[in-house]
Amino acid sequence: MPKGLLLTLALLCSAGGIAWLALAMEVHWQQVRASAAGPDRRTAIGLRVLGGAALAVSFGVCLLADHVTMAVLVWVMSLAASALLVAQVLAWRPRWLAWLTTPWAERQSH
Amino acid sequence: MRRIQIVSRVAAGVLGGWSFTWGFVVLGIALLLAAGMPYADAQTLLYLVAFLVYLVVFCWSFAAASTARVWLVLFGGGAAMTGLGWWMTRLPAT
Amino acid sequence: MFPTFRLSMTWLHTWFGLVLGYVLIVVFFFGSLSVFDREIDRWAIPETRFAPQPMSSFDTMLAPIFARMTPEADELQAAAKRVRGPLPATLVPMNWGAYTTHRDPVLSLYAEYAVPNNPDDPDDHVHGHVTIDPRNGRLLPDDRLKIGSEFFYPMHYGLNLTWKDLGYWIVGFAALVMLAALVSGVVIHRRIFRELFTFRPRKHVQRSTLDLHNLTGVVALPFHFMFALTGLTVFASIYLPVSETLLKPQAMAAAMADAKAKGLPFKPAGVQAPLASVDAMVVEAKRRWAARGMPGEVGYLYVNHVGDRNSYVTLYRAGSDRVTLVGQPIHFEGTSGRVLLEEPPPSAVAGVNDFLTGLHLQHFEHWLLRWFYVFGGLSGCLCIATGFIFFVEKRKRQHAKAGTGGARWADAVAVATVTGMLVATLAILVANRLLPAEMAQRGDWEKASFWGAWVIAAVHALWRSAPVRDARLSPAWAEQCGAIAALAFAAVALNWITTGDHLVRTLGERFWPVAGLDLALLVAGAIAAMAAVALRRRAGVAVAETGAAAPDDAETANA
Repeated sequence: MPKGLLLTLALLCSAGGIAWLALAMEVHWQQVRASAAGPDRRTAIGLRVLGGAALAVSFGVCLLADHVTMAVLVWVMSLAASALLVAQVLAWRPRWLAWLTTPWAERQSH
Repeated sequence: MRRIQIVSRVAAGVLGGWSFTWGFVVLGIALLLAAGMPYADAQTLLYLVAFLVYLVVFCWSFAAASTARVWLVLFGGGAAMTGLGWWMTRLPAT
Repeated sequence: MFPTFRLSMTWLHTWFGLVLGYVLIVVFFFGSLSVFDREIDRWAIPETRFAPQPMSSFDTMLAPIFARMTPEADELQAAAKRVRGPLPATLVPMNWGAYTTHRDPVLSLYAEYAVPNNPDDPDDHVHGHVTIDPRNGRLLPDDRLKIGSEFFYPMHYGLNLTWKDLGYWIVGFAALVMLAALVSGVVIHRRIFRELFTFRPRKHVQRSTLDLHNLTGVVALPFHFMFALTGLTVFASIYLPVSETLLKPQAMAAAMADAKAKGLPFKPAGVQAPLASVDAMVVEAKRRWAARGMPGEVGYLYVNHVGDRNSYVTLYRAGSDRVTLVGQPIHFEGTSGRVLLEEPPPSAVAGVNDFLTGLHLQHFEHWLLRWFYVFGGLSGCLCIATGFIFFVEKRKRQHAKAGTGGARWADAVAVATVTGMLVATLAILVANRLLPAEMAQRGDWEKASFWGAWVIAAVHALWRSAPVRDARLSPAWAEQCGAIAALAFAAVALNWITTGDHLVRTLGERFWPVAGLDLALLVAGAIAAMAAVALRRRAGVAVAETGAAAPDDAETANA
């Protein structure tokens, strides 16, 4: 796979992983779902697992794209960039992240 | 806080921190040389840790209860380590 | 001095952050620009707008150019004062060097010439330097200022202040304070994990500014910490020169033993001998690097003891495929071309140091990572700028009531530093396009435009700062944002007019150095224009609401 495609995939996985980890936090779940209650315990765990898995996949893809020393740096910086991006989306357009919670849509009351 | 107190504490942290770090580097290199490490490696290793040491003592110098203690530990410690390290390098090589 | 640890760290963070923040934001900003310093050079020197080239053939192209090189005129003048008797008409070259990277279209050639008859220094020497187009060996005009690599980059590590290394010391101290600010910031941030993604832009100014300050500081904390620390270790021998003072005997003994063990001739023999084929040495070096699993191009070529029987050639590998600085030098005997020494892999300590240095200096070829570095640096600038804004906003109401002027001056200096720095940066680019091409001392006039514009911006900031005394917004912010937008768009337009390399052409040819800078200028101009409009609107509203004080929640009150 061409390097550009691999890195794009890695970035998307980083962004998604960070977003899921953010959604496991009460205040951000409430922002995104416009609900009064935060995620219940099982949902929060599920979000953290999914988020962690996405970050692990991102790291693996980075290793495929580059020499290991560069892959580590690229991955660490992608986490920072993703965190900044997710924070901005949560601040200005939180509903844009609502689709990331669809696996838990029916389980929650809202 | 009186102005002279602030100036004294800042001087102790900045200048004392630098002298403490200097002593740490000199003593560290001397110890590593005595342990058989090549000079270039000893210098490189101490340079890698030197600024972490400076960071710690710099922060401590503002958290410490008394300015006098900061002066004593940083300048005194720096001088002591410098002296000890220099003395070690003057010993005949074993 | 302080009743609790947290209070001592708050004081440290606030006051050292404020004073050194003015230096740090300059270091971070020009550091970000330096990631693409050579690309900025291409924009500033249109004659060099062509694709990067590998190192040219030494035998056919470089050797004749080296033979014709002469020392710099100003260095010769200074040397004439140091020697006993007149200087000889031609000086003997001692060594030659050629340097290129994967981003350089042009090749830099250096030479050192021995200066005889200096009673104080038997090793006295002067330098020569030319830049060539490696495609045809043509010498490029050397009086063009490389705005990226020879102005913005030195600004980053030394503020272009070379008197007694003062700039290095100021930047070094600022880096130490950066580390302390990061540590103290973590100590005083009460809910660092819970508020990791928190940014509330619609709340009052103090809250949203502090949120953004925390966000940009925390998410890039490893980046900020590692860059400040590695910056210090790169220049450690300046800040802690133990090997030139207290430990000089040990350092010299080790250096001489090292040279002896390597078997490389320390001094010339004094007997003339011709140089063997360097091109053949390059072929052998590349073969050996490939055999060790690290194929590569020559990054740096060095001929020692030119024209002498003891000459030797050192070839260093260009390190573009990994973070660690890998020189992997191989030394060849000059007269015969046989390998004298293939340097062994570095020791563990040296390997760690090479990795950390390589992390900071970025010789590697990875465009995404380079852009990440730029955004990391800019987020550092944003962290510092929001720090200033928070400091002023928090205090200006108290100072307005008490009639003291502290907040006003802090705000004026903040404008002078943050927007003033951007005005100066754009001014030098505009001057670069406006000044006549064949002007004498053109580089000096470009630098004067930079500093002059910054002085004007600083004066403007001070002059317009009076409203802060009454707890209102200084109009200087909006006005300088407007100037930034105008200068940025002007720079792009002038590039088009003076060189014909407009965006449609450079994007079509995929000539990224110029296209990238033009696009970045347009984006910067657009952001500055939007900021100017938003600030004007806020200033209008603030006048109406001067009575209502912003509610101080617990964190903004104690920060």
